[in-house]
Amino acid sequence: MKPARFALARPRDLETALSLLAEAGEAGKIMAGGQSLGPMLNLRLVEPELVIDIAGIEELRRFGHEGDRLVIGACITHADIEDGRVPDIGDGVLARVASGIAYRAVRNRGTLGGSLAHADPAADWLTTLMALDAMVEVASKAARRRVPLGSFVTGALATALEPGELITALHVPAIAKGARFGFVKHCRKVGEFAHAMSAVVIDPERDRLRAVTGAIDAPPLVIEDAHALLGKTRSSGSVRRFDPGIVDAAFQTAGIEDAVDRHVHATVLRRAIENAWPVMPDRSRRQAA
Amino acid sequence: MSVVLASRPHARRARLTVNGDTVEADIEPRTHLADFVRDDLHLTGTHLGCEHGVCGACTILLDGEPARSCLTFAAACDGADVVTIEGLDDDAVAAELRAAFTREHALQCGFCTPGMLVAARDLVLRLSEPDERRVRLGLSGNLCRCTGYAGIVRAVMAVIADRQARGETAGGHEASRMLGPVGAHCPSVEDVPASLHAVSGPESAAGTKAPPIPVDGTFSPAHRFRQTFTVAFPPEDVFALFGEVEAVAACLPGAFVEHLPAPDRIVGGLRVQLGPIRASFRGQAVIERDEAARTGRILGAGADAGGRSATQGEIRYAVTPDETTGTTSVTLDVGYTLKGPLAQFGRPGLVRDIASRLTSSFAGNLEARLAGAPATRNDVPSGLNPARLLFSLAFDRLMRGWRRLIGRDGPRS
Ligand SMILES: Cc1cc2nc3c(=O)[nH]c(=O)nc-3n(C[C@H](O)[C@H](O)[C@H](O)COP(=O)(O)OP(=O)(O)OC[C@H]3O[C@@H](n4cnc5c(N)ncnc54)[C@H](O)[C@@H]3O)c2cc1C
Ligand code: FES
Ligand code: FES
Repeated sequence: MKPARFALARPRDLETALSLLAEAGEAGKIMAGGQSLGPMLNLRLVEPELVIDIAGIEELRRFGHEGDRLVIGACITHADIEDGRVPDIGDGVLARVASGIAYRAVRNRGTLGGSLAHADPAADWLTTLMALDAMVEVASKAARRRVPLGSFVTGALATALEPGELITALHVPAIAKGARFGFVKHCRKVGEFAHAMSAVVIDPERDRLRAVTGAIDAPPLVIEDAHALLGKTRSSGSVRRFDPGIVDAAFQTAGIEDAVDRHVHATVLRRAIENAWPVMPDRSRRQAA
Repeated sequence: MSVVLASRPHARRARLTVNGDTVEADIEPRTHLADFVRDDLHLTGTHLGCEHGVCGACTILLDGEPARSCLTFAAACDGADVVTIEGLDDDAVAAELRAAFTREHALQCGFCTPGMLVAARDLVLRLSEPDERRVRLGLSGNLCRCTGYAGIVRAVMAVIADRQARGETAGGHEASRMLGPVGAHCPSVEDVPASLHAVSGPESAAGTKAPPIPVDGTFSPAHRFRQTFTVAFPPEDVFALFGEVEAVAACLPGAFVEHLPAPDRIVGGLRVQLGPIRASFRGQAVIERDEAARTGRILGAGADAGGRSATQGEIRYAVTPDETTGTTSVTLDVGYTLKGPLAQFGRPGLVRDIASRLTSSFAGNLEARLAGAPATRNDVPSGLNPARLLFSLAFDRLMRGWRRLIGRDGPRS
């Protein structure tokens, strides 16, 4: 099927994009890489009057640093991160996640900002960046604000973006020295959306274990202190003490009704903890495929 | 060579390089790159399968990198460099791949082959060794209905091995490229449409007066679902309220009643929203009530504005006193069937999430109503708030199909 007719605006700068968005109101729709919006337009599930293409805006295609945080422009693509054109926050942490998203042809256009704005609970960045405690920078004609990713996502496909607002950048804090990062995505076929997914950050120095379980039918579930899931032991050897009973109860409380689903999510979480690898300071690396 | 195509209303002028030629054309914004090269430039080597980014048949080179031409709008590619399969005639890697594909029987009908060659060429240029796992990973975004992939994988590995043997290094070509989506260049002139509403948008479904589709009393739903909630009012009050169609509709965000042709008939509909997806169904329903048992059944049928998607559904409700707490418990058994484009979608768990939120907002509104609160505003709030009891179930299927299309439940081949 083909999209319904729409007008296309290709603003050169952010200010113009924000004015257009404010003026268009409900009739306007932002497009970045079009890799999620495109299928919806083709199926006519979305029929905006005006599509505001922000992919060419230079300001959104940059990266920078702010203190120990990496600031990634909203229109940076999955492939940019996969290829190391954008510095990583730790040895291949972001690159590895990026390389598992969809297919190369999709990664060459799909953006970080678009992925978060689309807020599919099974999206890889949502779970990963929540575990990394990232923040979303949002702008409207009137103001700019920063929202922790945890409160940015309000439901499946729903975000805290107000009318007239768009995502300008992501702020990702550097991983603490000595910390480990684990990410496991479970799907039947590579490149597809996950059936289960977990990201963990283990910081032995601060005795912290933060875990996020994504690909559930609600926003990803953040377990701030995942030590509780590991029974009483609090050493690095505690992984072996991973207590499926406690995890199961936690998932049940979180509303995952199906016992098989809970089992799969728990297994994926356990693997993410087990596979967590020590994170070295950024050595951008390149991956293919 | 330079081609200038005739102008069209609503179109935007864009200048692209296609297979080395400059093409300046007035392009309708909704035309994606695949249709543009096929229909306007007659470069029919680019094939279209799914038009959702899943099958890979339409994969072309945009600024030298593979991209889905079905998910890229041509007018948004002003300034881009496009290479279709026709443009790879003289490409050295593509030539080697063609020979290897022939040798290894890597194609039968050839439908997937143009996209396959573009993806394979990219792999050859990026992989430094013929690693089968990575080749398979790299080709996972290209579906072939014919060959079973064995020949394709062998062909790609052979080309990588040959190049390696000749000392031709892979990788690096992508390191220097511009950041951001390939094909997206900043327009040189600030470009804002003179009037935002120059294009007449889709008609609001609620306003379209298609004749309501008939209710079929014998239908048996494809999907079923149960919700329960309690309200702190006596069962007879609750049951009485369920008898007032307009009051019930007022409690159900997104629902609208147009008229009541008979006491047991409603003409109306429901507006639903899930993230960016909005749909509006209009139709009619028949109501049955059993006063003695305090149960009822609402049987409805509706279609969306273009009449492309249609649904039938029933809600059986039972109102029972909860002796221990002195409250009333309401059980809703919902069954539905959905047909048309929307029926390609859906996912069970998401619906549970939606339906439970929905039920609680419905229960809240019902309770407020019983307590004598003024009528609630009956709009579809934005965000995931999809209204809507009955049709939230539609979104169950909606999401499941969506996953299938974008790969989550994966087209299995
Ligand atoms: C076949 C296929 C498989 C996929 N598999 C995966 C997968 O495995 N994992 C995964 O995570 N993703 C997957 N995706 C989705 C992909 O990652 C998309 O690139 C991404 O979700 C959307 O990014 P985009 O830039 O293309 O956004 P668009 O499609 O342009 O936009 C998506 C939505 O976000 C809004 N938007 C975009 N940018 C902004 C902004 N800066 N501010 C506010 N709103 C904005 C748009 O209005 C739209 O509603 C897949 C896609 C396809 C086609
Ligand atoms: S037609 Fe573009 S990926 Fe299937
Ligand atoms: S050769 Fe027929 S689809 Fe691949």
